[in-house]
Amino acid sequence: MKEKTGIVDTLEERQPYIIRKQERGQVIPLACDNNSLAGAISQRACVYSGARVVLNPVTDAVHLVHGPIGCAGYTWDIRGAKSSGIETNRSSFSTDMKEIDIVFGGEKKLSNAIDELVGIYRPPVVFVYSTCIVGIIGDDLDSVCKTASQKHNIPVLPIKSEGFKGNKSDGYKAACDALKQLIKRPEEETVEKKPEVSQKARKPKINILGDFNVAGDVWLVKPLFEQMGIEVIVSMTGDSTAKTISRAAEADLNLVQCSGSMNYLAKWMQQEYGIPYLNVSFFGIEDISIALRKTAEYFGSEEMKKQAEEILETETNRIMPEISRVRERVEGKKAAIYMGGAAKALTLIKGFSELGMEVVIIGTQTGKKEDYEQISYSVRNGTVIVDDANPLELADLLVKQKADLMVAGVKERFIAYKLGVAFCDFNHDRVVEFEGFDGFVNFTREVDASINSPVWKAVKQRILKPEGVESERTAVKENGENISEKPCAKKYKEMHMDPEFLRQNQDDAVESQV
Amino acid sequence: MTKRNYATVNPCVMCQPMGSALAFKGIENTMVLFHGSQGCSTYMRLHLAHHFREPVDIASSSLSEKGAIYGGRENLKKGLKNVINRYNPKVIGVATTCLAETIGDDVSAIIREFKEEEGIGDDPEKDIIIISVSTPSYGESHVSGYIKALDAVVRKFAENSEKPKIPEDIEIMDYMENMEIMGYTEIIEKEKVAETLQEAKSPDIKETTNGKLNLLPTESLSPADVRELKEILEATAGDYIFLPDISETFDAPLGNELPKIAPGGTRLSEIADMPNSRASLGLGIVSKNLALAYLEESHGVPGHSVPIPIGLSNTDSFFTELVNTIGCPIPEEYQKERGRLLDAMVDVHKYLYGVKVAVYGDPDTVFSLTAFMLELGMNPVLVATGSKSRDFGKRIKQIFEEIRPELEPVVLDGIDFDSLNDAVSECNPEILIGNSNGRYIAKARDIPLVRVGLPIHDRVGAQRILTVGYRGALELLDRITNTILEATDTFTAPVQVEPAAYAGQGAEKEFMEGAQ
Ligand code: SF4
Ligand code: SF4
Repeated sequence: MKEKTGIVDTLEERQPYIIRKQERGQVIPLACDNNSLAGAISQRACVYSGARVVLNPVTDAVHLVHGPIGCAGYTWDIRGAKSSGIETNRSSFSTDMKEIDIVFGGEKKLSNAIDELVGIYRPPVVFVYSTCIVGIIGDDLDSVCKTASQKHNIPVLPIKSEGFKGNKSDGYKAACDALKQLIKRPEEETVEKKPEVSQKARKPKINILGDFNVAGDVWLVKPLFEQMGIEVIVSMTGDSTAKTISRAAEADLNLVQCSGSMNYLAKWMQQEYGIPYLNVSFFGIEDISIALRKTAEYFGSEEMKKQAEEILETETNRIMPEISRVRERVEGKKAAIYMGGAAKALTLIKGFSELGMEVVIIGTQTGKKEDYEQISYSVRNGTVIVDDANPLELADLLVKQKADLMVAGVKERFIAYKLGVAFCDFNHDRVVEFEGFDGFVNFTREVDASINSPVWKAVKQRILKPEGVESERTAVKENGENISEKPCAKKYKEMHMDPEFLRQNQDDAVESQV
Repeated sequence: MTKRNYATVNPCVMCQPMGSALAFKGIENTMVLFHGSQGCSTYMRLHLAHHFREPVDIASSSLSEKGAIYGGRENLKKGLKNVINRYNPKVIGVATTCLAETIGDDVSAIIREFKEEEGIGDDPEKDIIIISVSTPSYGESHVSGYIKALDAVVRKFAENSEKPKIPEDIEIMDYMENMEIMGYTEIIEKEKVAETLQEAKSPDIKETTNGKLNLLPTESLSPADVRELKEILEATAGDYIFLPDISETFDAPLGNELPKIAPGGTRLSEIADMPNSRASLGLGIVSKNLALAYLEESHGVPGHSVPIPIGLSNTDSFFTELVNTIGCPIPEEYQKERGRLLDAMVDVHKYLYGVKVAVYGDPDTVFSLTAFMLELGMNPVLVATGSKSRDFGKRIKQIFEEIRPELEPVVLDGIDFDSLNDAVSECNPEILIGNSNGRYIAKARDIPLVRVGLPIHDRVGAQRILTVGYRGALELLDRITNTILEATDTFTAPVQVEPAAYAGQGAEKEFMEGAQ
C-alpha cells in the first residue's frame, strides 16, 4: 500500500490510479476503467467523443449531431483525418436543439434535418449521434432513423452516444455497432476462410482496423502491403467510404491497430464472418516489421515472406541513417507518454527504445486492466503508470520524474511547455504522418526538434538578473576551472521553476529511481 | 448550399458555458466548474487551449448515468469539494451545461446546502465564494453566457460586500430563470420599475464614491486588447476596475512560479468595490450589458456604453466618454497615436477604397469592425454574426446610414458557416475578416482571411492580436492592407502581356510556352 501513495500529491481517491513499477516485474494492481472523479479535471471526453472520433473519418457520411449546438461545434473537423476523395465528413451537422425542442421533443426536427441533409448532400449513409440531453428527454432515435432509412433508401444509423452514459470506450463500441450494420455479407463466399486456399485462388485481402488516416498515415502503410501482393480492402475508418466498408467482410484477415476502439469489431467479424485478426502497429521499425512478418506468416506464402523481408531491408536501410543521426542526439532522454488508448502507448514504448530513450511516465485515458498489465511488463522499474490523470498530477509527475519530452494531445501540450518540457503531439492534431517508415522518420525528427531546441535553455532562466550574469562572468574570468562550484553559477543552475504543487508535502515526494 | 430550415451546418457560435468560462477566467484566483457531464468541459478546455495556447483547467461534476437520473446533487458537491482541495481557489464559478439544466438541478440550492455542510460562510475575506450561473446552451450562445456570468459575479460581490439585505442566491436564481423566459430587456425594464418604486436612496448620486471607473465589456476581448485598454485607463482615469481581466490569466508569462491557478485577473476586492465607483463604462452596444445595468439601477453607479473601441471613430468615442466622465485631458501620447493612425489611413486609402469585405463574428466586435471598414472606405458587402441578436441588424444599418448610406450590405444574424458561405457566394467579397472557422470558405473561394475573434486555432498569436485603441486600429489596418497587397501584388509576378506587343510571331509562341 505504501508504494501506491505519495507518488504525487493528489486527491486521496485518485491515489490508487497512480502506481510506480517496482522491482522484479511484479504487477501492482492499478485502479482503472471507472468513471472520472467529479471535480478532478479529467482529460477524458465523453461517449459521444469516442463514437465521433472513430466514425468521423468515414468520408462520405453525413455526421449529424442531435443535440444543442456546442457538442457539434467543438467537434467540427477535429481529427486531421485525410480523405482521398469526398470530404462530407469535414462539415459539422447539428440539429441545434432549442428550448422548445427540449420541452416538446426533438424527433420532428431531427427527421426534418435528416431529410434536408440527405436532399442536399445525397450521402450513402447518415450517422445520427445522440448527445446528453437527448438521452434525458427520451427522443426515440431508433424509430426516427428507421423511418428515414426506409424513406431515403440508405442506412440512417443511430449512434447511442449520450455523453453521460459511460465513457469514451462506450462510444467506441457504439461506433463499431454502426460499422457492423454497414458491412455486407459477401456473396457466394464460404464463411470459413482457409489461408492456403484463398492464397491460391485469388489475391489475399485484408482490412486495417483502427487506423484513422491522421495526416495521411494510411497512405504510408497501404503500399507496404500492396508490395507484398495483398489487397487492402478498407482501412477503418481512415479514408473509408460507406462502399469500401461494406466490402470489409471479403477480407481474409483483419489487422487491428487501435485495439481500444476496434477489437470489439474485430471479434465480431471473427464470429460473424470467420475472419481472424491480429493486433499490430505501424509505428516504429520494430512494430512495422512485426506487422509485416506476422501477416506474411499468416498467409503462409514463402513468396510473400521473401517480399516482406525485402521491403523491410530496403526501407530500414533507407531510413536508418536519419534515425541514427537523431538517436545520437536524443539518446538517454526521458519520455512521458499520456495517450487516449493503450495501443498507442504500448507502441510508443518500443518507438522510444529504438531511439535510445527511456519512458518514465506512461498513462492513458481509457486503458483497461489487461492493458495496464501489458504496459507494466513493457516498462522499466521506476516508471510511473497512471490512469485518467488530471493536469496537476501530470505536471507534478513531469517534474518529479524529470521528463525531457512528453507525448500526448493538445490539452497536455501547454502543461509541458509551462514546465519547460519538450512536447510531441501524437493525437489528431498533428499534421505529419507518424506511421510507416517515413512516418517514423517524421516522428524522430519532431522529437529531435522539440528536445534539442535551444528555447529550453533560454527558458531555464525565467527572470533576468543582470547582477547574476555579471558575477558569473567575473567568476569565469577570475577562475576558469570548476565553474559549477562557484556559488553564483550554482545558484543559476538550480534556479528552477517553483511549482506550487511541489511545495506541499515535499517529504512525500519520491525521487525518480530510474 | 440550399435553403435549410432544420439542420445547422458548421456552427458559428459556441455554447453558453464557454462564454461564462471566458468571463470567470478573468477573475483573480478563480476556478470554473461545469455542472454536467465530463465531455462538455473537456471540449471547451480543448477549444480554449487551442486558441490561447495556455493550459486551461475547467472542472466538471462528471455526471454519470446515475447522476443524470437521480439528480446531480452529490456529484456537484463532490466536485466542489475536490476543486477546493486541489486548487484552493478564492472563487468558484459554477456554470450549468445543457444536461444539468435539462434534468433540472437546483444549483443554487445545492450550493447553499454545500456551504452549510462545509461551514462556508459569507465572509468574502475568508470564505470561498461560489457563484452560479445558469447557462443552458439550447437557450443562447457564448455571448450571452459571458454577459450573464459577469452579471452574476458583480451581483454576488455587490451583495456580499453590503449588509445582506436580500437573501443572495435566491435573488440570482430567480433573476436567471426569469431571464430565460423573458429575455434581457424585459427583465431589465421590470427591474427598473421595481427600483424606481423603491426609489434610489440617494438621488444625489454617489457622493461617497471611491473615484474609480468600472469597465465592463460585453464580449471577450483578447489579452492584448485588455492590456491596451488598461494602459489607456492608467494614463487617463488612473483608478479603474476592469472586469474581467484576462490579460495575464490567458497569456501568462513564463516565470519561476507555476501556480495551479494562473495569476492575474481582476482582484476580488476591486469587484466588491464596483458598486462604489463613480461611473461604469460598458464596451459594446449591441448586446445588453447586464452587469452595467445592475450597477446603475441597484447601486446608482451611472453607466454608459460605447462601442468596443475598434477603429477611429469608436476609439474617439471611447476617449470622449473617458474625458466626459473623468474630466481628464487626452494624454499627448494618444493624440500622437491618433495622428499616426490618421497618417496611415491616408497612406493606404487607395488600396482599400471600395474593397468588398465580409465581416463575421460576435455581434459587438463585428459592429465595431464594420464601422472601421466603412471609415477606411472599404465596402462591407456582408456583415454577419452567429449569435441570435435582436438589435444587431438595426445597429449595423444605423452605422451604414451614418457613414456610407449609399451602400447596401447583406446583414445576417444567427447564421452558421454554411449559410455564410451562401451569402459569400452571393456578395462576392474580396476579403474575409473573422475567426479561423472561415478558413474553409476563404480557401474554397481563394480569397484571403484576416483573422480576428475567437477561435483562432490555426495560426499563432491569438492572445496578442490587438484591435482596440488607436494602436489596435493601426495594427489591424496594416494587417488588412498587407493581406490585400499580398493577394493582389503583381509586381513580382511574371509580366505576360507587354512583351507580346513588340515580340515577333515566333518569339510570342515561345513566350507563351515559357510562361506555362
Ligand atoms: S451539452 Fe450544451 S454545454 Fe455541453 S457542449 Fe453541448 S451545447 Fe455545450
Ligand atoms: S453534452 Fe454530452 S455528448 Fe455533448 S459534449 Fe457534453 S458530455 Fe458530450
